[in-house]
Amino acid sequence: MNLLSVKGLSVRYGPIIAVRHLDLDVDVGEIVCLVGPNGAGKSSSTLAIAGALLPSAGTIHLDGKDIARQPAERLAMAGVSLVPEGRRIFGRMTVQDNLIAACLPGRRPFDDPEIFSLFPILRERMGQFAGLLSGGEQQQLAIARAMLRKPRLMIVDEPSLGLSPRFVDIVFGALRQLRNQGVSLLVVEQSARRALGLADRIYLMRSGEVVMTGRSGSLAQDPEFEAAYFGKEAAR
Amino acid sequence: MKSPPPTAGTFVSLAIVVIALAGLGYLMPGLSRTVIESFIYATLVVGLGVFVGNTGIVSFGHASFAMIGAYGAAWFTCCEGMRQVFLPGLPDIIAAINLPLPVAALVGMGIAAVVAMFAGAVLLRLNGVAASIGLLSFLFMVKTIYENWDGWTSGQSSLVGLPMEVGIAQAAAGLIFVLCLALIYQGSASGLLVRAAREDEVASRSAGVRVWRERLICFTLSAAITALGGVMFAHYLGSISVVQFWLDLTFLTLAMLVVGGRNTITGAVVGALVITSLRDGLRTLENGVPTPFGIAEIPEGVQEIALALLLLVVLVARPRGITGGREFNFFR
Repeated sequence: MNLLSVKGLSVRYGPIIAVRHLDLDVDVGEIVCLVGPNGAGKSSSTLAIAGALLPSAGTIHLDGKDIARQPAERLAMAGVSLVPEGRRIFGRMTVQDNLIAACLPGRRPFDDPEIFSLFPILRERMGQFAGLLSGGEQQQLAIARAMLRKPRLMIVDEPSLGLSPRFVDIVFGALRQLRNQGVSLLVVEQSARRALGLADRIYLMRSGEVVMTGRSGSLAQDPEFEAAYFGKEAAR
Repeated sequence: MKSPPPTAGTFVSLAIVVIALAGLGYLMPGLSRTVIESFIYATLVVGLGVFVGNTGIVSFGHASFAMIGAYGAAWFTCCEGMRQVFLPGLPDIIAAINLPLPVAALVGMGIAAVVAMFAGAVLLRLNGVAASIGLLSFLFMVKTIYENWDGWTSGQSSLVGLPMEVGIAQAAAGLIFVLCLALIYQGSASGLLVRAAREDEVASRSAGVRVWRERLICFTLSAAITALGGVMFAHYLGSISVVQFWLDLTFLTLAMLVVGGRNTITGAVVGALVITSLRDGLRTLENGVPTPFGIAEIPEGVQEIALALLLLVVLVARPRGITGGREFNFFR
C-alpha cells in the first residue's frame, strides 16, 4: 500500500528547474533511497515533499490526501518528519531542549526510552549545547528529534554526509530499526553503494529527473546502474 | 540546598542587584538620576531583548511601542482638568477618567500589545533582515501617524503636565516586574519553540513548530514590556513628544542590547546600566566639574563618540556582549 505517492512533481528556483516531473512512491514500512550526484535535485524533492519548499507543479498524496501545498508544521503534525541536510540541530540550545522542542507541539513525552537505547550517547550529552556535539552525535540528535514525533513517514536528507563509517553504521542501523517498526523512510544518499546496502527500493536521479528505478537487489546486479549514476552512455 | 530552576535563580539575582542599586540611589542623592534613568532604559532594553534575543530578528521598530505606551498612559494621567485643552480630540469619556499611574501603565501596555499583535501578524511573516526593515517601516509609519494625530497627541509639540511620579522606587518596581515577565517567558514552552525557530527555521517547522504564531506571542509580550519603559520615561520627565521615541532611542537601546549581550535578559540589563552610567558620567564632565585645580571639562559630543567606540570594542572583542551570553545567577 502506498503511504506517499508523488506524481509529476516539479520544483523551480526562478528560471532554474531543479526537479522535473518526479514520480515516486513509498510503501508502508519500506526504505526508499533517492540516489544521485550533486545537483540532481534530491534535496529539492525532499524539501518539497516535506512542505518546506513550494513545488511549481505536481501532486503529493499522503494516505490518499493531497498535501502538496501544506506547510511543513502541519505535515509534521500529520506524521511527516524531515531531517534536513547538514544536521540542522538547534546549536545554541542544550540536547535536552532540542528534544523538548520536538515534543512540545502535540505534547509528546520527551524522554522516550527507545531513543536512548538507540542513541545512548545522547543521554550522556543531555545538558550540553547541541552545537558542541561531534558531527555523528549531531546526526543522531537530528534523527532522535524526528523520531520523537512518532512519524509515519520520515524523510532523511543525506544522513551519512561527513560521518565516519562507525557513525554511518549507527545511523543506518537506527533507520533499519525504524523500518522494522513499520515507519516508512525516504532517504537521500549520494553514495550508490551505501544506498544499495540500506534501501529496499531506489530511485536514481540525474539533472532533476529520475533516470532509473528498481529494487536494490536487482539494481545491484545491473551494470547499467553505475553507468547511469555517472551519466555515461549505458555500456553494452 | 537544592538550587532553584535557572530562570527563578536569575530573577532573584537580578532583582537583588536592582534593589541594591536603588538603595545606592537613596544613599547618594547625586546618583539618583542615573539610577532612575538606567532602570527605565533597562526596562526598554529588556522589552527589546525579549524579541531580539529569542527570535534572532533585530528590531528597529520597538521605539514605537514605547511611544504608544507612553501616550496611551498619558491619556489617563495627564494634565489635571486641562486634558481636553491640550488634547482636544480625546473623547469625553477618556478625558473624564483619571487613573492611578500603575493602572494607566497597564492600559498603555495593553494598547501597545494590541498594536503589536496586528502589526506582527503582517510583519512576522518576513524573516531576518526583511523583518528588520519591515519593523523600521513600522517605526516610520507610527511616528508619522502620531505626529499628525494632533487631537490625541498634540502633534509635533510636546505634551506637558504629566504627573512626575516615577522615582527610584517606582522605576525599580517596574524593572523588577518586567524581569519577572521576561524570565517567565524565557522558561516557557513558547520561549523554547521560538528559540528553536531562531536556530533553524526549517528544522523547527519540520518538528511541528508554528513559527509565525510563536513569534507573534514573543513580539506582543516584548511590545508590552517596551511600552512600560515608555510609560515610565513619560512619567519621570513629566512631558513627552514624538521625537523622543525616534531614531536616537532606537539606536541607543539597540547599542545597549548589543553591548550587554543580546541573547540574555542579564545582557539587556547590564548593557542599559553600563551605557547609562557612562553617558551620565561623561555628560557631567561635558558640563564641567570644579576641582581644586580649576574646572575639569571635556568637549561636547564626547559621549556619542565614547558610545560608538564602546560598541566597536564590544563587537570586536566580545561579540556576544559583556555578559558573554550567560544569565547571571547567584544560586548556580
